[in-house]
Amino acid sequence: MSVGRTVWLGNPPARKPRPVGPGRERFWWWFMRLSGLALVVLALGHMLIMHVLVQLSGQEVSFAFVTSRWGTPFWRIYDALLLVLALVHGANGARVVITDLVPRGSVRTLLVSGLALLAAAWLLLGLFVVVFFNPDQAPAVGPFS
Amino acid sequence: MRLARAQARVVSYRVSWAQLAWFGHRLSGIGVLVYLFVHIVETSMVTLGPSVYDATLGLFRNLPVRLGEIVLMAALVYHSLNGLKVILLDFFPATTAWYRPLTYGVVIATAAAMVPLSILMLAPYAPW
Repeated sequence: MSVGRTVWLGNPPARKPRPVGPGRERFWWWFMRLSGLALVVLALGHMLIMHVLVQLSGQEVSFAFVTSRWGTPFWRIYDALLLVLALVHGANGARVVITDLVPRGSVRTLLVSGLALLAAAWLLLGLFVVVFFNPDQAPAVGPFS
Repeated sequence: MRLARAQARVVSYRVSWAQLAWFGHRLSGIGVLVYLFVHIVETSMVTLGPSVYDATLGLFRNLPVRLGEIVLMAALVYHSLNGLKVILLDFFPATTAWYRPLTYGVVIATAAAMVPLSILMLAPYAPW
């Protein structure tokens, strides 16, 4: 099957063994599987609500919708949990792809640290919005409004 | 057989289902991650008030974006089901004997789920 080189498809590694010793890789191995299980419910549930149930119930996503939705702690916690798990799960997945494709060296270090920085920035932005959103304090739209 | 010959022109070795399932998992994962970055920016517009947020949502209310959202839904369904398959194979190694039917099952289940989901998601844009 393989001709011993990496082509655009990439070679599926001969099933990498489960990391046994304690350490970062073992943590990520477990994290990916446990967060993955939670995300099957959280992410698919989110898509089902936003793209199917909202429409079937005759509602529409809008500012008023978000205000009412985030008026209940349940949905804030749901969305915060989904945000953290999905972003960290996705960023770590991308890290695994990068380390598979790019040989050890400065390019890999640059890509992985750039990815981590990007993910951290977006995580902070998202968490800030989910936790602190207050419709009464929505700022004026422009300097003259 | 014809499919195998066409495929041989793209890569010089036989591509297995295992390889495609694995590649599909990565591709769908990266796709969903890229969308997530866009989605976080989109949703953060809610802090700028109703007019900015509703205008931002307006950018997403058209057929091309809706088609993209259907692809996103398919990517998420596939990634979820294939991920469950990976977990099953990891924790119950005996199921490796069922690798091939499991992989076919994931693809068939994804396609089956996407039939009603696509219809529902396209309904607002349907000509009727």
